[in-house]
Amino acid sequence: MDIQHVYTKKRSEFGRQVIFTDRAVESIADIPPNPDLSREYISRNPVELAIQNVREFSEHWVNTVRFETENRGINHVEGGWPKDINPLEPDQTSRFRKKTEKEDGYSRSMLSLGNLVEHTIKQNNIVDIYENYFQNLQPDVVEEAPYAKTVNIYRDPHNARRTANHISWYADGARKLAVSYCNLEFQSGTNDSFIDSYIWDTENPTKPDLHLKPISPLVCIEFNPKDTHQLVGGCYNGQVCIFDTRKGSTAVEQSLIENSHRDPAYKTVWLQSKSGTEFFSASTDGKILWWDTKKLSEPVETLILDIEKKGRIENALGAMSLEYESTIPTKFMVGTEQGRIISCNRKGKNDAEKIGNVFPGHWGPVYALQRHPNFLKNFLSVGDWTVRIWSEEMRDDCIMWTKPSVHALTDGQWSPTRSSIFFTTKMDGTLDVWDILFKQNEPTLSIQVVDEPLHCLRVEEPHGRLVACGSQNGTVTLVELSDNLCVQGKSEKVLVNGMFDRETRRAKILEARGRARRDARGKSAHGEKTEKATTDGATLESELKEANPIEKAEKDFWKIVDEEKRKRDRKAALAGEKAAAEAGETTQAETAAPTTAETTE
Amino acid sequence: MDDTAETSFVVDEVSNVIKESIEATIGSQSYQQAKINTWTSNIVEAILNSLTKLNKPFKYIVSCVIMQKNGAGLHTASSCFWDNTTDGSCTVRWENKSMYAIVSVFGLSI
Repeated sequence: MDIQHVYTKKRSEFGRQVIFTDRAVESIADIPPNPDLSREYISRNPVELAIQNVREFSEHWVNTVRFETENRGINHVEGGWPKDINPLEPDQTSRFRKKTEKEDGYSRSMLSLGNLVEHTIKQNNIVDIYENYFQNLQPDVVEEAPYAKTVNIYRDPHNARRTANHISWYADGARKLAVSYCNLEFQSGTNDSFIDSYIWDTENPTKPDLHLKPISPLVCIEFNPKDTHQLVGGCYNGQVCIFDTRKGSTAVEQSLIENSHRDPAYKTVWLQSKSGTEFFSASTDGKILWWDTKKLSEPVETLILDIEKKGRIENALGAMSLEYESTIPTKFMVGTEQGRIISCNRKGKNDAEKIGNVFPGHWGPVYALQRHPNFLKNFLSVGDWTVRIWSEEMRDDCIMWTKPSVHALTDGQWSPTRSSIFFTTKMDGTLDVWDILFKQNEPTLSIQVVDEPLHCLRVEEPHGRLVACGSQNGTVTLVELSDNLCVQGKSEKVLVNGMFDRETRRAKILEARGRARRDARGKSAHGEKTEKATTDGATLESELKEANPIEKAEKDFWKIVDEEKRKRDRKAALAGEKAAAEAGETTQAETAAPTTAETTE
Repeated sequence: MDDTAETSFVVDEVSNVIKESIEATIGSQSYQQAKINTWTSNIVEAILNSLTKLNKPFKYIVSCVIMQKNGAGLHTASSCFWDNTTDGSCTVRWENKSMYAIVSVFGLSI
């Protein structure tokens, strides 16, 4: 099939006929080279071009609009009473209240207001964000090695070579340290050159917080636990003085020199009293004096430390250290220069009654004496190269002691938190930490604090984490102990108590056995000298005093030899006993029974 | 005659349009290589815009050459095969201190 369509259009409708013709070449631009211009251009050679072929990144940041907070407070005071009612008069106000309560709209408006107020009150139920959820949780006993680090060193700003004798912690938090400085070297003659003592801020080792300017160098200083601004100091010349940090550097009050000690007042201790104004002081002149800060002109009470109980000052023992436990306020203990430790009772009517038990103590001055903070009948004493732990029940011998150290010990203190730990300072500048539960033959931790002898230490209470040590040249070092040296373990108290009990029992058994042996020997050999063999310390000494000096010296000599012999015996016995004791509680009890039976008959 | 003026390519008119466009785009600015692309396209577009507003029955070809005045020579020429009676061309050579701009417009009647 063939489809055809014929379309016709006139020529005139096509538009004009197009006649194309060629146009002559036309120059568009004709700019000749211009050497003048080109001379002004210098071609760049070499051309430096940097191309970077990495993806391009961009960084943007936005910050949300800061949320402005503000604090507001409202102080609500009572008000809104009608003019004619005095809000301070309870009669008028209660009458007005009753009147309003009887009004018609009262209950209705109360209901609507109640909802409003309830809502407002509920706004105040804030969450206590400081709440401790795990109060009863026992702290983990950390099994890491104990360590200690030096936190701060406080150097005596004055160049005088003085010993830091005594340190006292600020009673209210461990923020301040009072340190007494005094040169105690024999005949050094520089005592009066510079006599200031300082209170240090623990945070600022560069400059003392306060200078204390006494009349004579201080040998001891103690913060008042009741009034933290008050300090008592014992002077080298025997006076005691009171400082008040609010009233400046000089002593606010001091005792009269004729009523004070004749020797340096080596220790002062605040007494537990309602007013917090009483304290007592001890000195090597053999006297203990009680004072009241309200009347420092003369002592309230005097005690002469004559253990023969005759009150003779020439026979008195010089006091070096004091022990006072505020929970048993009538009792105190004195460590003497001669080595004996005297337990006293202040409530006695006369000096003889006041002096109680006398413990043999050490072979030299007792430098430190402290009751155990948890077991008050046990106490620690430091002297003659050893630390001894005593029980009040055992008057003749200590229950535990450390082996004599190479360097002399100068001070010691129990840890206030851990029952089994005590600290000692030595002449070679080390601070020893002893843990009697861990090992008894050597310290658990020994820190070389300074290169010169250390003279005193004081543990911060109640945390027991910081220990301040004073050295011979007046440098006080603050040492911080690791957690396991100041956090008490679960069963530690029980174990320490058990250990003290066991050692006391052991010492008792040994003593009983030794006495029995001596009795037997005395009966057979020296019938007439049995009295001497019983060795009651006091009677023996009085006997010796009356004899002439040569005889006395001879007797003394034989006494020491005897004692040494006895000691050796005891040591031999002890070796056997100790093995038994260490074997365990049960076996010890078994061995104890027959020995006591044997000795008591 | 009026009729022819309405529908024919008037060289003066076009030349004014070209000059205005160049003047508006470049003016007295100095030669900047980075701007050449925008300049040329701006000029060409501006000219085309103005020409179309004349409402004449023409197809237009606009070309633009910009050359830095650095002493180099430039020679261009064109030639056309067209209806000489209706079609026309206009070339404007413009210069300032730092460059030449050569714009040529060809108008081809429909």
